Amino acid sequence: MLDVSRVQKELMECNRDKAISGVSIVLHDGGSDLSHLSGTITGPVGTPYEGGTFQIDISLPSGYPFEPPKMQFITKVWHPNISSQNGAICLDILKDQWSPALTLKTALLSLQALLSAPEPDDPQDAVVAQQYLREYPTFVATARYWTEVFAKRTSVGIEEKVQKLVEMGFSEDLVKNTLESVNGDENMALEKLCSG
Amino acid sequence: MADDDDFQSSSDLEGADCYFSDQDDVLEETVLQVLEDGREEDCHWSVSSVITKESLLAAQKEDLRKVMDLLALREQHARTLLIHYRWDVERIFELLEQKGKERLFSEAGVTTIQHKGLDLPDSSDPVECNVCFENVSRSTVTEMDCGHYYCNDCWTEHFIVKINEGQSRRIRCIAPKCNAVCDEAVVRNLVSARHPDIADRFDRFLLESYIEDNNKVKWCPSAPHCGNAIRVEGDIYCEVECACGLQFCFSCLSQAHSPCSCLMWELWTKKCHDESETVNWITVNTKPCPKCHKPVEKNGGCNLVACICGQAFCWLCGGATGRDHTWSSISGHSCGRFKEDQEKRTERARRDLYRYMHYHNRYKAHTDSLKQESNLKETIQGKISISENKESKIKDYAWVTNGLNRLFRSRRVLSYSYPFAFYMFGDELFKDEMTTEERELKQNLFEDQQQQLESNVEKLSMFLEKDFQDFSDDEVMDTMSHVINLSNVVDRLCKQMYQCIENDLLYPLQRATHNIAPYKSKGLERASELSLCWDSDQSMSVKTYPEDSYAQQNLTANGSGATLPGRHSVILHGSSSDESGCSSRKRARTDGLGGAARFDLNMPAEVVDKN
Repeated sequence: MLDVSRVQKELMECNRDKAISGVSIVLHDGGSDLSHLSGTITGPVGTPYEGGTFQIDISLPSGYPFEPPKMQFITKVWHPNISSQNGAICLDILKDQWSPALTLKTALLSLQALLSAPEPDDPQDAVVAQQYLREYPTFVATARYWTEVFAKRTSVGIEEKVQKLVEMGFSEDLVKNTLESVNGDENMALEKLCSG
Repeated sequence: MADDDDFQSSSDLEGADCYFSDQDDVLEETVLQVLEDGREEDCHWSVSSVITKESLLAAQKEDLRKVMDLLALREQHARTLLIHYRWDVERIFELLEQKGKERLFSEAGVTTIQHKGLDLPDSSDPVECNVCFENVSRSTVTEMDCGHYYCNDCWTEHFIVKINEGQSRRIRCIAPKCNAVCDEAVVRNLVSARHPDIADRFDRFLLESYIEDNNKVKWCPSAPHCGNAIRVEGDIYCEVECACGLQFCFSCLSQAHSPCSCLMWELWTKKCHDESETVNWITVNTKPCPKCHKPVEKNGGCNLVACICGQAFCWLCGGATGRDHTWSSISGHSCGRFKEDQEKRTERARRDLYRYMHYHNRYKAHTDSLKQESNLKETIQGKISISENKESKIKDYAWVTNGLNRLFRSRRVLSYSYPFAFYMFGDELFKDEMTTEERELKQNLFEDQQQQLESNVEKLSMFLEKDFQDFSDDEVMDTMSHVINLSNVVDRLCKQMYQCIENDLLYPLQRATHNIAPYKSKGLERASELSLCWDSDQSMSVKTYPEDSYAQQNLTANGSGATLPGRHSVILHGSSSDESGCSSRKRARTDGLGGAARFDLNMPAEVVDKN
């Protein structure tokens, strides 16, 4: 049922200008299942999310693109329309306002836009929304802290991990490739490197 | 509240204040009453008609045509507009004034301005579909009125998903943020090419929108479903009778329950079905055994109670004891300490239960009487045919049937007046609306009326049960005049009670709105077959009240019978119907004055007066 050729075209189209758009999509866990994808968006400049990279789990229902894709933040984020518990997103185009003429890329761009313009009157996370409305400075500080801790850790962490593994005697290129293939898990990378 | 008088036995002596043996007085008085009532009833005007599977299309077409004519629209656009505005033609005309055509249309998703051909390239080159991203030939691309085009496969898929989601009535264009509703002909054509069954479903949804998205039309709640829907013009707080014979409240779709409001009736049925009262009884009258925890009822004797499981316990405190005891004390046990809280709770539960039982017993008694009296119908038919074949100068026994129908109707009102009183004067709904003194005053006022009604209904019932077929002519005449008089009195009392409810009880309430279906002197009118030409009032009124429905109505047992044609009563009184329906009297006058053709007595006075 899933329109495979459309999804493939979408992936190509989306990743062609990822440097400019700040959004990209890959198959989940480097697998081959076209219905389970991972999206990445960069935090918009001038917001508490600036500098962060946010991972989004995308699963496509069999009726896609006539039914909306299901999206959820994997990276923890402090935002009125995104659950701080499980990353669930409250966005109209992912529900009744979805149109088959929209794409995964436009949906991710909408998420990026949502990061810069929260809608606290239609909240997913009531606690965050209240803080946004009543103590805006605290909200900004918390959002920035969460970005710092959760949305930047992988990039900072990877350099440290590479450094560590290189110090163990592996070549830098090999370490980087291995780490990438196991999604940055240090222990699994080490295991893989050791087993050759 | 009324004590447990036996109304039947006291019927001949008491209650003379509302029982007139002098016919002329009654007549005069009722005519005056009727003139007053006529005005009262105007605000509750409503007419119901049946929409069957066959007439649904026609009913819908009628509204469509009105909108198509006035706004010069195609049928599909008129339908989209009507679905959006819930088939309220008047509202559309109103909004047309306020908002103007442009906004009226765009909010509903109607695109009449042709955008076609603006975006789609002219050449015969293949075009790219923006959903599947394939290059397709122009012949397999469809463009909607809004100018957006996609390939037929994608359109079809989109339509099927929307129909399956139950959104047939408003399938929007694929383009993001485009509010235009898709052309139903395109939907039908494309979908039926692949899934004819889904296309059928789409058509049915569009057709049934006239019922589902319409405040003035509701499905008949019969089970198994008769397939009909009822349309009401005028006041929607009314009770209707479907062509299948089911009588129901149009507002809440449960059985007819006037003078209870829908909320009162909902609470009452829930309370009656609920075990909460049983639980209350158990709390008041039993104690759980400390060993097996079954509820134990005390059947007399001292306060040492023994459960069937063998355990002995103290009835006062519920604690387990030994078996040795004296008349006043149990050995090794003392529990004289007073626990106020528990005492109060028990007292309160006892009082609530007592109050509920009072109202429920009376409600139940009248409902049971109604059931028994409907068996009377056959017996009475038998008596009538015996009488008619007798050597006698009295040939007309319409008064018996009329009296019986009056009995059914007033009995119903009486039985539902008890749950009404239960909530009207209880704490549940109106606790903060009235002071205790106000409540007491109103309760007395209402109960006086209720009691008068009750005693006269019982008298009527008694006279109708007489074996008049064995009577002499004089005795028959006597019974007849009693029945006719009592019918009039009972009808008037019902009316007064409704007036009391509306003007004295419910009207002064500040917060709560309780709409009560109006009292219908002639019983519920069966919804008429839908008239398909509404062009003139004349054709409407004639079709709305077909005369032959009178015969059917008289056969239904629930007191729904129609008035018998006026000529019977003319013979008896030389005046008007003994049914004393206010509107029928009014009509009789109009008839006499105008000397016009014979009117259908089931028509509301307003219709006749207009003519």
